[in-house]
Amino acid sequence: MRRILGILLGLLLIGGVLYVALQGQDHPESTATKTVRGVIGSEKSEFFRDPDVVKALAAKGYTVKTETSGSWAMDQLALKEFDFAFPGSSEPAKEVAAAAGLKGAQETRPFYSPLVVIARPGAAKVLAADGLATMTGKNTGTLLMGPFLKAAAEDRTWQQLAGSSAYAELTGTVFVKTTDPASSNSGALFLAATSNVANGNTVVADDAGIERTAPLMRKLVSVQGALETSTDDPFRAFISGSGEPLILVYESQVASLLLQKQNPGEMVVLYPDTTVNTAHTFVPLSEDAKELGTLLATDPRLRELAVLRGFRPQDGVAEFTAATAPHADYLNPGLTGIRQVGTPTVKILMALAQRAKG
Amino acid sequence: MSAAGPALRGRRRARTALALAVAVLTAATACTAQESSGPAETAYKEGTLRVLASSELADMEPVLEQARKATGVTVKLTWSGTLDAAEQVASGQADGRYDAIWLSSNDYLRLRPEAAGKLSSETPVMSSPVALGVKPQALARLGWKPGEVTWPAVHEAVAAGKLTYGMTDPVRSNSGFSALVSVASGLSGAQSALSDADVKAATPRLKEFFAGQKLTSGSSGWLVSAYGKRGDVDALVNYESVLLSMNRDAKGAGAPLTVVRPRDGVVTAHYPLTLLASAPAGARDAGRTLTDWLRGAEAQQAITGQTFRRPVAAGVAPAAGLDQEKRRELPFPGSRVVADGLLASYENELRRPSRTVYVLDTSGSMGDDDRIGRLRSALTDLTGTGTSGTGRRFRDREEVTLLPFGSKVKEVNTHVVEPGNPGPALDAIRRDVKALKPDGGTAIYGSLEAAYEQLGRGGTDAFTSIVLMTDGENTEGVGAKHFDSFYARLPEAQKRTPVFAVLFGDSDRKELTHITELTGGRLFDATGAGGSPAVAGGGSLAEAFEEIRGYQ
Repeated sequence: MRRILGILLGLLLIGGVLYVALQGQDHPESTATKTVRGVIGSEKSEFFRDPDVVKALAAKGYTVKTETSGSWAMDQLALKEFDFAFPGSSEPAKEVAAAAGLKGAQETRPFYSPLVVIARPGAAKVLAADGLATMTGKNTGTLLMGPFLKAAAEDRTWQQLAGSSAYAELTGTVFVKTTDPASSNSGALFLAATSNVANGNTVVADDAGIERTAPLMRKLVSVQGALETSTDDPFRAFISGSGEPLILVYESQVASLLLQKQNPGEMVVLYPDTTVNTAHTFVPLSEDAKELGTLLATDPRLRELAVLRGFRPQDGVAEFTAATAPHADYLNPGLTGIRQVGTPTVKILMALAQRAKG
Repeated sequence: MSAAGPALRGRRRARTALALAVAVLTAATACTAQESSGPAETAYKEGTLRVLASSELADMEPVLEQARKATGVTVKLTWSGTLDAAEQVASGQADGRYDAIWLSSNDYLRLRPEAAGKLSSETPVMSSPVALGVKPQALARLGWKPGEVTWPAVHEAVAAGKLTYGMTDPVRSNSGFSALVSVASGLSGAQSALSDADVKAATPRLKEFFAGQKLTSGSSGWLVSAYGKRGDVDALVNYESVLLSMNRDAKGAGAPLTVVRPRDGVVTAHYPLTLLASAPAGARDAGRTLTDWLRGAEAQQAITGQTFRRPVAAGVAPAAGLDQEKRRELPFPGSRVVADGLLASYENELRRPSRTVYVLDTSGSMGDDDRIGRLRSALTDLTGTGTSGTGRRFRDREEVTLLPFGSKVKEVNTHVVEPGNPGPALDAIRRDVKALKPDGGTAIYGSLEAAYEQLGRGGTDAFTSIVLMTDGENTEGVGAKHFDSFYARLPEAQKRTPVFAVLFGDSDRKELTHITELTGGRLFDATGAGGSPAVAGGGSLAEAFEEIRGYQ
C-alpha cells in the first residue's frame, strides 16, 4: 500500500512536503549536493557530461549543469541564471565578469588546449607538397603560417596546388574554416595568431597594426561565408564525412576521441607554427561555485579525467604526454617547433574581428 | 502492541496522504482540461520539449519515441520552414512558445543580428547533403556516371531540354535554398563564398537552369508525393536522406532514383538541435538530456539506419548506400544582403513565372463571422507592403487572377505584376479584393471549370495553380461528376495544374479532398484546428494563403 502510494505521489510530482510527511523518520535524508549551473564553451561539454566526471564532482558535493555558448557571446546572456562561466580563454572571462558586475572574481585556469587544424590525409599531403605544411608524423604535422597566409593573400585555390586533382573535394579557395571571431573563442584566437604573423611577428597593439593586418583578416574570414559559433559544428561535419578540407578545432577535441578509443577516421592534425597561449578560464558568478574552479584545477581525479577528455591540466605537460603516448602519431604533446605568441587586447581583437567580418 | 504502534501511525499518515493526493489529482485533471481547450501553444510542461522543426524531421518520430523511453523527455514538434523559423526566433515570437528549434541549418538564422543571444546550446545531430535523385532512364540517356556529374553538366542537360526536375521553394524550404546556393556557386565558378557579383555573372545560366524546374513545393515531403504522381519529371532535388528513403519505401515499385552528389560541391544540412535562451531552465535541462542521448552510439546507429542521414559520432558507420567519397562543402553566403539578394533574384527573375487563379467563395454565408473580412485581409497580405521581405508578395512577372463566385462566377480579373514596377498591379489587386461582397449560393465545380478555362487561354511557360477557398458545400451549378469528366477531358499539360484547397468555415472536407487528390494538389486547413504532416496549415486563413505561396 505504502509503496503504491509512494509511486502515485511520485507521478503526481506534488513535491517535498507530503513526501517527507509520509517518509517520516524511517528514511533519513541523504546529504544533498550543491547544484550549480554553468555556461561553457562547447569544447568542454563532453568533459562535464562524462559520467566519471559527474561522479567525481558529486563526491565533492557538486551537481554541475552546463549549457554551451560561444565564449565571446557569454557576456550577452542572462548571467544571473548561472553560477559560473567557463569560456575558452582569459580575455572573454574579463568581459563576463564585467557583464555580471563582478569585481575581483577569483578566476582559475584549470586546463588549456592549443588550437589545431584538422585535415584529411589528401589535403595534408597537398599542403606539404606545396610547402604550406610539413609532416612530422604519420597523422600529424605543422601548418606553416607564413606560406599559408601568403597563399591566402593571393587567393590561392586548391586547383593551383600540385597534386590536388586526385581529390574531388579539393577545389575552391584554400582557407581554414574557423568559427565566428566575434562570438567564438577559437575564431578570435585564430585572428590573434594570424594577425601576429601578418604584423611582422608582433602583437597588434595599435590602430596602425589594425590597418596593416585588417585586409588579410578580412580575406581569411569572408571567403568562408556563414560562420558558426562553436567548434563542435565544423568538427562534427568533419566526423560525418562532410565539411571543409581544413578545420580549426581544439586539440582536446581530437585527443578526446583518441583517448576514448573512438576511431577518428582519416584525420591529420596540423599544429599552426604560430599559436596563442591562453587557458580556459573559470569565472565563479555565485557563492555556490566559488570553490569549483580550484577543485577542477587541483583535484587529482578531476585532472586525470580532464586529460582523458583531451585537455592539458595546469602545469601538466607530463600527465598529458604520458596519457597520449599511444597516440603520438596524431599529437605533438611537447608543442615542439610551435611559437607561442601573446594575444592582443580584447578591444583590438574585437576591432579586428569586426573588420574581418566586414 | 508497541510493535503495532508505528505501523498504525504509518497507515493514518497514508490515509491523509491519499486524501490529499486525490484532491491534487482532481485539480490536475481540471487544469489539463482547461489547457487543451485553450490555444494550441501551451506553457512548458515538465519533460515535454516544444520544438520548432523542419518538416522532413517527421521521419525521426520513431527515434524520438526511443529517446522518450530512454530519457523520459517527450518532444512535441511543430513544423516550420527555415526562413519562417528564423523570423519567429529573431522577432522574439518564438520566446515562450518553443523551447528549442531543430532546423536543417542555422546558417540563415545566424545572418540575423537579432538572433544573437536568443540561442543557447547548439548540437549538430546528423547530416545530409542536398543531392539530385535521377531516374535511371534519364541517367542512361545522358550517359552520366553518377560520381562525375557536376553542376555545369546538370545545367547543360537542362538547357538542352534533356532533363527536368522538381525542387522546393528556396524561400520556404532549406533544401531548395541549399540547391540554389549550390547551383549558383557551380555556375558562377565562385571559388569561395558567393558574392552579389557572382550571382549577377551567373544569372543568364541560372535562368536556363531554372527553366527545367517543373515542380515546386513548400516542403520536401510534399515534393516527394507530387513527384510520385507526375511521371514526366526526370529528377528530384532533395536531401540525400529523403531520396534514399523514397527508394526504400517504393519497395521495388518503380526503378530507384540514382543519388548524384555533384562532384564540384554540395551544401550539407547538419540539423543542430538548438535550445532557446528564453526556455525555462527545466526545459533546457531536458534538452541537454535529449541531445546527449541523440549523440550516443545507439541513437546515431538508429538514425542512420532508419533515416539515411549520416552519423556525427566517431566510430558509428553510416548506413549502407551512403557513398563515402568526399565532396567540397560549398559555403553558405556570409551576409544577409547576399542571401536575400539570391532569394529575390530567384523569386523575381530566375524561376519560371507563376500564373495563379484564386477561386474565391463570396456566397452569402461569407457575411457570417466577418469571414469576408478575413478573406479580404488574407488576400491583401499577399500584395505585401512597401518593405515586404523576399517572398512576402506576389512575384514579379506573376499573373494573378481573382475569380470570385456565388451562384455563378461573378468576375474574372487578371493582373500581371510588372518587373521593376510592381505597384500598379498590386494596387489593382487590393482594389478588387476590397470590392468583394458576400452574396448568393455556392457554385464550386462550375467556378473551378472556369478557372481551368482561364489558365488554358495563356500560352507562356509558367507554374500554373488554382487556389480554391470556400466556406461551404456545392449548392449551385454543375456537380462533382461533371467536374471529374471535365478534368478527364483536359489536355495532359493542363491536367498538371493542381488545385490547392483551403478548409474554412463549414467547407466539406471530403469534397475538397477529392478535388485536391484528383488534380495533384494539397489540402490546407484554415479552421485553426492545428496542423499535422498530412494536412498542411492548421492556422488562420492568412497563414494558409501564405503557406500555399510555396507551392505556386
